[in-house]
Parts: sequence; structure tokens; C-alpha cells
Amino acid sequence: MTGDYRRFALTRAGQAIVVVLLAYVFTFLIISVLPGDAITNTLRDPQHGLSEEEIQRIVAFYGLDQPVVVQLLLSLGRFLTGELGFSLQSNLPVSQLVGDALPSTLTLATTALLIAIILAVAIAYGAQYLPGKWAAIVRSIPSFFLSVPNFVIGLVLIEFFAFRLHSFTTTDPNSPVATLFAAITLAIPVSAPLAEVLIASLDHESRQEYAVVARSRGLTEARLFAKHLVKPSALPSVAMVALIVGELLGGSVITETIFGRDGIGTVVQKAVTGEDQPVLQAIVSLSAVIFVAVNLVADLASPLLDPRVKLRESKLKEKV
Amino acid sequence: MTAILSNTQLRDVGSAPRKLTAGLPPATVLLSFAVILVVILWSLIPGLFTSLSPVTGDTASKLAAPSAAHWFGTDYLGRDQYARVVYGTASSVTSALVAVLIGLVIGSIIGLASGFRGGWVDAVLGRFVDVLLAIPGFLLAVVIVSSLGFQTINAAIATGVSAVAVFARLMRAEVMRVHSATFVEASYLEGGNRLHALLGHVLPNAYRSVLVLAVLQFGTSILIIASLAFLGYGDPPPASDWGLLVASGKTYVTAPWLVYAPALVIVATVLSVNRISRWLRNAK
Amino acid sequence: MSADLLTVESLSIAYGPTAVVHDVSFSVAKGESLALIGESGSGKSTIAKAVLRLLPHGEATAAGRVALNGRDILALPEKQFRSLRGRELGFIPQDPASALNPVRTIGAQAQEAAALLGETDPSVRRGRILDVLEQVGLPDPVRVYDSYPHQLSGGMLQRVLIALTVLPRPSLIVADEPTSALDVTVQKLILDMLTELRRDLDISLLLITHDLAIAAERADQLVVLKDGTVQESGPSRDVFAVPRTDYARSLQADVPALHPDRYRDQRTAFRPVDPVHDGDSRTGDVSSPSAGLQIDVREVTKRFSAGGKDVLACDGVSFSVERGRTHALVGESGSGKTTAVRLLLGLEQPDGGQIAVAGQSTSGRSRAEVRDIRRHLQLVYQNPFTSLDPTWRVSRIIREPLDQFGVGTKPERAQRVREALEAVGLPSDVASRRPAHLSGGQRQRVAIARALVVRPDVVVLDEPTSALDVSVQAGILELLSKLQRELGLTYLFVSHDLALVRQVADTVSVLRKGQVVEDGAVEDIFSRPQHPYTRALLDSIPLATPAAALDRIATEDKLLAKSTA
Repeated sequence: MTGDYRRFALTRAGQAIVVVLLAYVFTFLIISVLPGDAITNTLRDPQHGLSEEEIQRIVAFYGLDQPVVVQLLLSLGRFLTGELGFSLQSNLPVSQLVGDALPSTLTLATTALLIAIILAVAIAYGAQYLPGKWAAIVRSIPSFFLSVPNFVIGLVLIEFFAFRLHSFTTTDPNSPVATLFAAITLAIPVSAPLAEVLIASLDHESRQEYAVVARSRGLTEARLFAKHLVKPSALPSVAMVALIVGELLGGSVITETIFGRDGIGTVVQKAVTGEDQPVLQAIVSLSAVIFVAVNLVADLASPLLDPRVKLRESKLKEKV
Repeated sequence: MTAILSNTQLRDVGSAPRKLTAGLPPATVLLSFAVILVVILWSLIPGLFTSLSPVTGDTASKLAAPSAAHWFGTDYLGRDQYARVVYGTASSVTSALVAVLIGLVIGSIIGLASGFRGGWVDAVLGRFVDVLLAIPGFLLAVVIVSSLGFQTINAAIATGVSAVAVFARLMRAEVMRVHSATFVEASYLEGGNRLHALLGHVLPNAYRSVLVLAVLQFGTSILIIASLAFLGYGDPPPASDWGLLVASGKTYVTAPWLVYAPALVIVATVLSVNRISRWLRNAK
Repeated sequence: MSADLLTVESLSIAYGPTAVVHDVSFSVAKGESLALIGESGSGKSTIAKAVLRLLPHGEATAAGRVALNGRDILALPEKQFRSLRGRELGFIPQDPASALNPVRTIGAQAQEAAALLGETDPSVRRGRILDVLEQVGLPDPVRVYDSYPHQLSGGMLQRVLIALTVLPRPSLIVADEPTSALDVTVQKLILDMLTELRRDLDISLLLITHDLAIAAERADQLVVLKDGTVQESGPSRDVFAVPRTDYARSLQADVPALHPDRYRDQRTAFRPVDPVHDGDSRTGDVSSPSAGLQIDVREVTKRFSAGGKDVLACDGVSFSVERGRTHALVGESGSGKTTAVRLLLGLEQPDGGQIAVAGQSTSGRSRAEVRDIRRHLQLVYQNPFTSLDPTWRVSRIIREPLDQFGVGTKPERAQRVREALEAVGLPSDVASRRPAHLSGGQRQRVAIARALVVRPDVVVLDEPTSALDVSVQAGILELLSKLQRELGLTYLFVSHDLALVRQVADTVSVLRKGQVVEDGAVEDIFSRPQHPYTRALLDSIPLATPAAALDRIATEDKLLAKSTA
């Protein structure tokens, strides 16, 4: 088992690294191969007021006078050594820009993740154990959450809680209450798929023969839920939590704009408007790294959580 | 192979629900179809639903509250918000359709090839799908649209590309499920070749879940394109895409209907699409 | 008669507006066993669920009276009833593989059952659990205690479940098809163990089963159900000796174990002298040594490797089938019978050995040639619910082989489809339906029609009736023997059911762990089995009365006592 597990873990880790590198290449191709010579356009924009000398230095740094393949290799080489380049707009190192913005976004995203998990568990529990009609209503909540655009939720929350009830002010977006509401905005759409997975697996598990047998031994519904159903239902949910991390990162662009927070999302927006390729490249690649890492952890944890997961599934039983 | 199916298992498999033929769908589904019908009509013949212009307004009645004359009120130039919503429908709906088509076609081809062919094709395409999944969908859409230029059609393309992975994964899973079914093996035994198995058995059995996903993805695409428009990555004003209407409305705190009216239209549309998708999935 | 432990009076159960059980009454005396028998849809499992109060909440409504020791358990509030669960009323479910929580150890789940004893000290409870695990014949209780369900075999899991059920010493056990998911030899061991435990602990049994042979062997009383109503009830000896209703009579007549010669007469009426085929049959290569043999499998081996371990699914398997005869491959799961068939049909490639069909070897030939040989070899799958494409209409399903092999013109194909439908006894309007609108028996007839439409010489029948009810099974077997008689077909019949094989086959090969342990004519094997495994298989055929089963256990106990002494 342990030898098998090590091999399994190494294979998965190797795959993860390949995916990250390919994601980097893919992003690079989208940014630089698609129409428009953005870097030179931006550089020569008189607004930036760069001298010809400075432009030459940047062109040399990114290898802009060389073929795309060379540029890609140069860029990939820098990425591997942790060098993210310089912003074309502000001339600051990308690592500094990202480093300044990251704490705000991480606070937002982790709070949102917590809220999403709590919401999803509450919805799933309600769907399972509330009496008939209420359960049906609770069951339709995820579908409703999936239908409301993120920005509408944010605007409605601001309208009511900031402008009418004065629970927080939009002028201080980093206050705890403002952060909480921003996190709720981000959490609501993200909680929906998680709640759906939880509801489906609880439905599935409670219909299983083992649940019926446990009931026949006189277990109460509450004990059945706690002792039997939670663990097997949590397993697919862990995979789902890992998947929604990507949505949190994407959704923060909108949420930060609405709430006026300075985070990665704002940096992305500025980079998009200013066609600041190195910044975009860095942020997209880092998001991929985070996403792949979280999913790798979830993957590596699943055989430890679930005794049934066999590392190398054999089809033998079916064939013989 | 010797396992005996229990009676209940057999009943489960045997009495596949035939809800499609059994009477009318539930009331919420009918309502959803009605909403979608209105949205389609708005996009095809907007002139039938409003006599007002979406681009010119009467500045004397700017930022007016909803009334019999202006159902959704008027904006800062005195333009009728209802007319702007109606005229913005075509662009919002077609761009979502384009996005779904891109995701559906490319994703299905990738999923089909990888599930049916297996081996190295599956390994290579599988990594490509992993890459598409690894980049957060909305971020990917933002990057693509920023490369292609800020237009609604580019937002649609970007949304479509970010949906390719979902379609590819589902198609692959469905193809593998059907391909391992006993009736496909039976078809090989009866002299059928791989092409026959693919076209005769695998696709007809696999396409339904993919279609259900396509309907669901139509709703999601409306949301993503609206979000891109909200950030200003779609066509600029005087276009009146739904997301753009919300974005330009949000500056007028005193006229909240400018935000709520188009927001409600988005929610009603996506909710209806999701309801229909769920109904299709259950009726399968 | 002693006092009744369980009394069911005028029980009616409905799912929403559809009533599934109508006015059912019966009673189980203390220490007695009663079997509820019926085919799918008879309502037997629903009654069991009602007795256990495990009907789905809010979906099913029950009327009538179910009294346990005089207390109406349908009227009891859930809180009071809960104290009876497990302690008074035990439950053994059908499928042991899904009846234990897959992510918790056996021990953790056993503790729940042991808690019903009122014992609070976990280590004392653990001792009691280990004792009872040993009592049900599990060799290494400590290892079982620490295992997860997926680490044990189906037979072991069912022993665990029985152990957990008897642990709190309930007065009544409800067993819902307790062995139908298990191999026949295991099935017999489990039933013997259950019979013995009941005798020793004085527990009453309510047995739910579709298997009349098991019911006849294991129950004192029988209740025959059909469509939710009681057809007949009484002591099992009487019901089987002189069934009073038509339904009970036909059910009884359809059970292979009770009627070894049911199909024998029909089959022996036909002995092919010179098989005449209607149409495109070829004559076998007379000069070859295997002349007259439709199938000749010689020393085939097939090795599967999984997780670094190699398993010989077929280890030098040989068998042959004469033209117009029926040969049976018999074995339990893992015996290699399915692999042997897949090798014969070309779905797997053998690692070694020779396979010849109608005297023509399949090795060293081109794809097209092999395809042509295989055309004369058709397969009917075990499960008609998965072997027909749900999106196709019946006419297209049956026509598929003709289309693929390019047989005949369009009208000729349509004509052949009509003939095939008629041959398998299906009305012509079935042709335009999809499989979802057919019953299990009808689907299997469609599958047989599809196999016959290209007019093959050999039909491989892979457990063709094991997914079907007994009465439906009888219809399919009659059809198969009629077709063999009329078309001179050769059958290769794969089965785990020896009682059935005895009825339908001429020759038989008994497989175990990839090897043929014994083969020969059916009469010889059944009357004078040589190999101990064959004897074990034969012993697992249920006997007709409970008394016979107890006698057998008693003799075996004596033998065991002697051998250990």
C-alpha cells in the first residue's frame, strides 16, 4: 500500500507539474499570438512617456525582436526561476504588484469559501431533514443561486446594507463588515454547485441498503446522519470544493470591482485595460498553480479518506 | 457475471420513466418556456414590443421612475429603459448561443475522440482539457477577450472557449459509459464495425446528457457574457447588452430601477433556462 | 400450535394512489419459519418493509394490523417502536455488499448492533461481537472486526450481517432474499448456518424469496403472493405436494430443482441424425479430426494481470459440443466460464490453445474470415435489460445483424425479421416498440430473435434466464428447446444453476478457478460425480422439504464430529 501510494502520489504530482507548464504555454500563446502587437503598442503609447532607450531595454528583456518560440522559452525559463518580469504600465516588478494585492484577495476568497461551505451544508441538511414542502423549497435554492449574476448580488447587498441600513460604508472597503458582504457576494454562486453535490450524495447514501439496515437496528435519523452519511457524502464534496477554488479566483474580479477593493481582481482589470501582458501572464499562471495545487491535495487525500479508493483500479473482477 | 439481478434492480432498469409522453410538464416548466418565448421574440422582433427608441431619449424626463409610459423608467439621457432592455436582448441571446455552440462543438469533438479512441489520443486531449480546467474560467475569458478586443462577439468566443472543457469531460464520460455497454459489444459480435458502433449506438445514447448540459450552459453563458459586459469588455454604449445596462445603471443611486429591471430580466431568463434543463434531465 | 409471534391482518399498502398489497393476512408462530414467495411485483418485499416499518416516509401508506407479541407495531409511535428494532425484530438484507457502510470498519458497525444489548463497556461488547462472528463460521474474527466491507467476500459479509442480526437475540428475523446475490455453494452454507442458528437460539423467521426451491426446503409455512394478494398459504409440505390454485401449481411446475425432468422429454424427442438447415448452412470439414463437432475448444489459456498479480482466468480449458446438442459450462463466479465464452466469441484473444468452430480453426486467419466464421456463432446475453440499445426499435435491433452482414435485400430482411419475431412467439406489433416498453421476458425473446435472424448453427446462451422470474424462465426455456428441435441448433449453455443444467443439457463441463474439474454426459455427472467440487455443487441444489434439510445438516454434523474427533 505505502509503495503503491508513493508511486500514485509521484505520478499525480508529475501530472500536476505538466499541467501547470502547459497552462503557462497556453496562456502565453493566447496573449501574444492572438491579433495585436500589444507590448509595443503599449510601450509606444505616449501616455507612458518611456524614452526610446527604456523601450529598447524592455524589448531586449522580453526578446520582443525575436521569434515567438524564443520569447516563449525565455518567458518560461524566467517563470521556472520565479522571475515574473515587469509591469509595462508602472514599470514595477510583477511580483511586487501581485504581492501587494494578494493578501486582500486571499482574505476575500477564504472567507467566501467558508461561507460557501456553511451555506451548502445548511442547504443540504435542510433539503434532507426539513418537512416536505420546506425541503422542496430549500432544494430549489441552488438553482436560484446559479441564476443570479454575481454583480447583481453585490449591487443589491450594497443598496440595502450600505445605503439603506448603513451596516458598512463603501468608502472603507477593507473594513470587516464590508469584507464580509463582499465575501457573501462571492460565496453565493459558488455555494450552489457544492450544495447540489451534497444534496445528491446525501440522497444517494440515505437510500443505500446500509442506511436501511442501520435504521433497522434502531438508529435515530440524527445518529444515522452523523455516523453513517456524513463521511461518504463528504468525499465527493471535497473534490467539488477543490474545483470551486477556480471560480472563487475568477469571481473575485467582479466582486472587487463592485466593492472597490484593491486586490488581484483590480490588478487584472488594470492590466486588461492597459494591455499589460506580463501582469496578465503572471496572474493567470499563478491562478493555475493554485488551482492545480489544491486539486492535487484533494486527489492525494482521497485514498486516505476513502478505504474503497484503489490506487490502480483493476478490471479483473469483471472479466473473470 | 453470475450475479443475479434482484427484482427491484430489474424494475429500476425496466420501467424507464416516460414522462415526455405522459401529459403536460409541470407548471413551473410551462412558465419557463413562456419566459424563454418572450425573450426569443424580443430578440427577433423588438419593434413589436415597444414603440420607443433605445438610442434617443427625451432629456426632460431623464431618470424617471417606472410608470405606465416607461415600464422600467428612463436613464440619464431620458431613454426608455424597457426599450433598451428589449433591444439589447438580441445581442445578449445570440452571443450566449454562439458561446454554447463553440463549447458544444469543440468540446464534443474532443470528448468523443478521447472517449472513443482512448490510448494516446485520450492522454494528449486529456492534458489539454486539464489545462483548460486549471485556468479559472472567468479569468480565461477575460484574457481571451482582452487579446481579441472588447466586443460582444469576442466575449462570446471567450465564454465558449472557457466552456470547452466541461463539454469535453461530459462527452468523454458518456461515450465511455455507452461504449462499454453490453449492447455495443453485441453490435460488434453481429458484425458491426467501429464506425457503426459510434454512429449507431454510442452517439444516440450519449448526446442527450450533452444537450441537457448545453441548455444549462446557455444560462451560464448569459451570466458570464453579462459579467464581461458589466466590466466593459463588450460592445460599448449605445449598445444595450443586459450586463452593460446594469453597469451603467449602478452609478445612479437614486434610480435603482435602472439596475433592477435588467437584473430581473437576466435572473428570470437564466432561472427559466435552468428549470428547463433540470426538467429535461429528469425526463430522460 | 403455540402462540403467534407475528400476526399480519388485512394488510394493505399503497404507494401514492397505486395499491401494491391488498388485504394480506398471515401469522408466524414462535420458533417457526414462514416464507413469503412471489415473483417481481408480488409485493413480498413491501410486506417485509411494512413489518420492519422501513417503508419510505411519506410515499407509502399501510392499512391493517401488524402485531408483534400482541402489540400493533404499525400504530406504535416511532420512539417506542425504536426500542423493538434490532432487539425484537432483526433484519437480514438482500445484498450483503451494499448492506454495510463502505467507509466504516465492520467493528464500528458491529458496535452499533452490540449497543442494543444494553452493555456499555466497549471491550465487553467487542468480546461478544468476536464470539458471534466465530459462531457464524468466520475463521478469523479479529481480522474481520478490523476490516472494511470491501475487503471481505460476499459470503463473509452475509455471515457478518447474520451475526450482527442474531447478536441482540431478536425473537423474529426478517430475511429479504438473504442469499440470492451469492454463489450457489455459498448460498447453501449460509442457509444451513441460518437454519442451525435459528434452531439453537429459538428465533422465528420471515423469509422473503423468489426461489421456490429454497422456500420449500427452508420454511415450515408458505404464503404464495401474486400482484399483492395471497394466492395460497399453508404448511410448505402441503402446498408443494398438492398446490390448490393454478398459480401455485404453475409456479411449482416451473422450478427446475423440484422437477429434474421437466424439459428432458421435450429434448430427447429430437436427436439430430443429419441436421438440415434452411438456407445458408455449410457442411463441416469431414476430413478434420473434429468432424461432427460444432465447437472444439482445446487447451485454451488466458491470463489477466492486474496490480502486478497474474490471474489465470482460463487454465488449459477444453470442451467440445456436438452438432445439435446442448453443452453446459457450469461454475460459480471466478470459475472462468465467462472468459471461456469470450475467448470462443473472439471478444478476448487466448494466450494459448486452439478454438475451432464447425471444424474451422479461428487462429491464423484474417479478420474477415474470422468474422464470417463467427456469423454462425451467435450469443444471447444474460441480462436483456442491458443487451438491447434503449434508443432503437425492436425491428431495427433484430435487423442489425442482417444489415451488418449484408444479408438479402431490404424486403427480404423485413421478411426475416417478421419470421424471427414469430419464431420467438412475439406479436408483430412489438416490432415498432422500444425496449423500455417490453417486459424482461419479451426483451429476452427479442435478444433470441436477433441471434437467430442470421440463421446461425451455434447459439451461446450466457445465463439466459437468470435475470428473469421463474415463470418467465420456463417460457424462455420452452422456446429454446422448441427452436433447437425445429432448427437443429447447437447450444452452449453457461450457467451456475445445476438444477437447470440438468434439465436442458446433454453434456456438461464443470469449471472451477479456470480449470475443468469434471466433464461428461449430464446423467453420469449428476448420478456419479467424481470430483468433490461437483459434489458440493450438487449438494447445494435445495431439497424439497425443511425436514430433509435438517436431516442433511444432522448427518453432516455427525460426519464433521467424526472427522474432527
